[in-house]
Amino acid sequence: MAGLYVHIPFCEKKCIYCDFYSIESVHDYDAFLASLTTEIEMRARLLPVGRSFHSIFFGGGTPSLLSPAQLGGILETLHARFRFDPLVEITVECNPGTIDVDKLRGYRAAGVNRLSFGVQSFHADDLEFLSRIHTAEEAETAIRTAHGAGIKNVNLDLMFSLPGQTPERWMANLERARALGTTHLSCYSLTIEQGTPLARMVARGMVGIPPEESDAALFELTMQTLSDWGFRQYEVSNYALPGFESRHNLTYWRHEDYLGFGPSAHSTIHGRRWWNVSSLQTYLERIRGGQLPESGGEFLSADTLRSEHIFLRLRSEGISLPDFTRLYGSDLHADNRDFIDRCIADGMLVIDSERLKLTRKGLLVCDEICAELK
Amino acid sequence: MERTRNFCIIAHIDHGKSTLADRLLERTGTITQRDLVQNQVLDDMALEQERGITIKLHAIQMKYQHTDKNEYTLNLIDTPGHVDFSYEVSRSLNACEGAILVVDATQGIEAQTISNLYLAIEAGLEIIPVINKVDLPSAEVEKVSQGIVELLGCKPEEIIPASAKSGVGIDEVLAAVIERVPPPVGDAEAPLQALMFDSVFDPYRGAVVYMRVVQGTVREGETIRFFSNGKEFEVEELGILKLRKQRTGSLSAGDVGYMIAGVKTVADTNVGDTVTHAKKPADAPLPGYKEVKPMVFSGLYPTVSEEFEELRDALSKLRLNDSSLVYVPESSIALGFGFRAGFLGLLHMEIVQERLEREFGMSIINTVPNVEYIVEIASTGERVVVDNPSDLPDPGKIDHVEEPYIVAQIITPAEYMGNIMKLCMERRGVYLNTTYIDPTRADVQFELPLSEIIFDFYDKLKSVSRGYASFDYEFKEYRQSDLVKLDILLNGEPVDALSSIVHRSKAYDWGRRLCRKLRELIPRQMFEVVIQAAIGTKVISRDVVKALRKNVTAKCYGGDISRKRKLLEKQKEGKKRMKQVGAVEVPQEAFLAVLSMDE
Repeated sequence: MAGLYVHIPFCEKKCIYCDFYSIESVHDYDAFLASLTTEIEMRARLLPVGRSFHSIFFGGGTPSLLSPAQLGGILETLHARFRFDPLVEITVECNPGTIDVDKLRGYRAAGVNRLSFGVQSFHADDLEFLSRIHTAEEAETAIRTAHGAGIKNVNLDLMFSLPGQTPERWMANLERARALGTTHLSCYSLTIEQGTPLARMVARGMVGIPPEESDAALFELTMQTLSDWGFRQYEVSNYALPGFESRHNLTYWRHEDYLGFGPSAHSTIHGRRWWNVSSLQTYLERIRGGQLPESGGEFLSADTLRSEHIFLRLRSEGISLPDFTRLYGSDLHADNRDFIDRCIADGMLVIDSERLKLTRKGLLVCDEICAELK
Repeated sequence: MERTRNFCIIAHIDHGKSTLADRLLERTGTITQRDLVQNQVLDDMALEQERGITIKLHAIQMKYQHTDKNEYTLNLIDTPGHVDFSYEVSRSLNACEGAILVVDATQGIEAQTISNLYLAIEAGLEIIPVINKVDLPSAEVEKVSQGIVELLGCKPEEIIPASAKSGVGIDEVLAAVIERVPPPVGDAEAPLQALMFDSVFDPYRGAVVYMRVVQGTVREGETIRFFSNGKEFEVEELGILKLRKQRTGSLSAGDVGYMIAGVKTVADTNVGDTVTHAKKPADAPLPGYKEVKPMVFSGLYPTVSEEFEELRDALSKLRLNDSSLVYVPESSIALGFGFRAGFLGLLHMEIVQERLEREFGMSIINTVPNVEYIVEIASTGERVVVDNPSDLPDPGKIDHVEEPYIVAQIITPAEYMGNIMKLCMERRGVYLNTTYIDPTRADVQFELPLSEIIFDFYDKLKSVSRGYASFDYEFKEYRQSDLVKLDILLNGEPVDALSSIVHRSKAYDWGRRLCRKLRELIPRQMFEVVIQAAIGTKVISRDVVKALRKNVTAKCYGGDISRKRKLLEKQKEGKKRMKQVGAVEVPQEAFLAVLSMDE
């Protein structure tokens, strides 16, 4: 099983915190779409036939800048070249400021069955700080519009630990999301990514980032609240009502293969990982020149796979200890007996049906635990 | 022999000894400008160049045509310039008949210069005073010469003004060496007595001995004996030292040169030892030989316990060319297997640590340095030597503890006398006396416990005197003191490697500062770390490193996985550089926290 990712590298305006590749200028979408089609065809010829994909994810950038016809065109190309499960999950990331009911209806007609809205907050001042192009009202109406277009499987992205964010303001966002009937929430702690305008603002002291203690408190509040409301936390930042987990995102955390198209897209197939150039210009030139737009790659050794397996699984559904032994020929628990037992005693880890899982307390220091495991 | 002069240069660090040596070598054509690319020729260890200290002494021969039209052989013997190495200095002085005393015209005479000068006078050397850097705007030639006159009792006109940097006074210095320094005396036919003043290790030839032949003649092929250990070796090669070794086949009374005799390790070649013939030995060795005794002791442990054998190997290689380094295996509950090493002083310790890291790629934990204590056991009256705080017997069994005292000589501008008195008193010093070198500069003598000066005394001295005071010391005696063992506990477990022996009056303050420093140095980790200082079972100070509250990457999708993995690998590497003590990760520098404690 594998997931398929398409990167749409356009934004109306870049947000100050975002480090994904995208460009703001006015573009010739058609030139990009033509190259994307070529890339898909080139890649399809290289990959063994018969592999079936369980998900397609349009990320970016702002995929919702594409018209239904444009998006449908990509899906047609994909369907012509690859095999998909009958119940394939097809997600489009949407900016609430770029959609209307007609567009979403069009997406649905093209096969889209899941939407992910980058809402971030329902407070106007937060949105202004984050330099989002949409308003609080648009954030509110987006999910209704999706429902109106017949798409029930909807995720909202929300951000916590924004400067000056009180627990009350954050709770208000969570409550709003729940009232709107979302089936899935991605709640990210604001991360300062290098090279972003936000990072420069922080460095200059223009923005005060909340201390670790209040960040941790908001994270705990989120986990507790959403669990009380029936959402299952199936990854550090992801919560779903039962049955609404994102099949595509699980691809990464289950360490399954994924194939990516478009500038900066990453792929991992059969133990090889590669990534495309993070420049639309170069991407177009490479494809026009008949070359794949790869900018780098690596073969994943058994050790590498083992270490990735640990941190990907641990941050999501946990590590099946028997599976781990079978895959890597080493007993994770035996190799880390003292440490794991201490974490269990301290309530950070549990072993549940031979599955090593982080508790909420453990999730808070997930990276530390991963760094300790040998 | 009539046209040979053996001499050395005495100077304080930065007063221009190396530059002057370079000028002499240049002026006599021993080296060319091109050889000087590495700046100062005599310091050839990378570390020495960085620290600006001549750690190991060497010798070099020059030829110079004097105004009397005769060509003279001038042997310049280099001396180390740090308090840790004063015995080596005395040995190289004994290989000479004269010494150039270099004093910086902008700084005046420093403590170390004086103590080395005394050693030179004691060895009966002819002193040629030189005031260097006379061309600097801040030069105080008049005042500095007055100080020299008072110190040496010489005439002002005997002092040579010079500038090694610009070459002023170099010919005058060379002329003075020839005219004032007496030629060596000795009988080339007498039984062999050669003073060994240094040795270096050559991986292909073994120990290369630098020596001054005082009596007799030694030839290649003969069997020689070292007086100190009775070991005998066949001489393979003899020669003199130019920029490179120059083989001569023999060395006679008055000569300075090198000897290669299949000596596998420099541990057999003791500085100050006398070389004689095995067949027809001299009756007695040359006077003044002492076994070099380490003053400062510290544990050396590999950060990664599995690297114990590598560390043993590295230390044995280091010892090949540093015979003053001594070490024995020891084990620590906290750190596993390692070595207790003895050093001449703190600088020597730092040099060894740096060489282990640089030359052998070892990651080393150096524990808190301490001096050697003598403990008298109450029941038996037995006297036990303790060089590791964790070996201090139970207080109930101790009659008393003695610690080494030194006599410190501090030369300072008079205006800083008050500060220096205060500093020495804080360090449990006992005031002896003050003499004035000139109206503005005092020579203050204090008795101090050695343990009080091995940490940061020198830095403190410099800071309370704006860098003007200088310092030298020599061992005096062992004295009874009220000393206690201060233990450090992490999460309730004593960490033996962090124990120290301190004076009871200072234990509380010391414990508080050490806990605070450790709190800064130990990074936050998954579990809370409680740091306690205790004397026996009594906890006297406590600090806490709070548990890490949150560390988790928020987003981890397709494009993040490789990056995330690399970050984790980096984090794991960082952890490897820390020592796992129980469940606590302790960074290397924490074991030396004492050295960076705040007031």
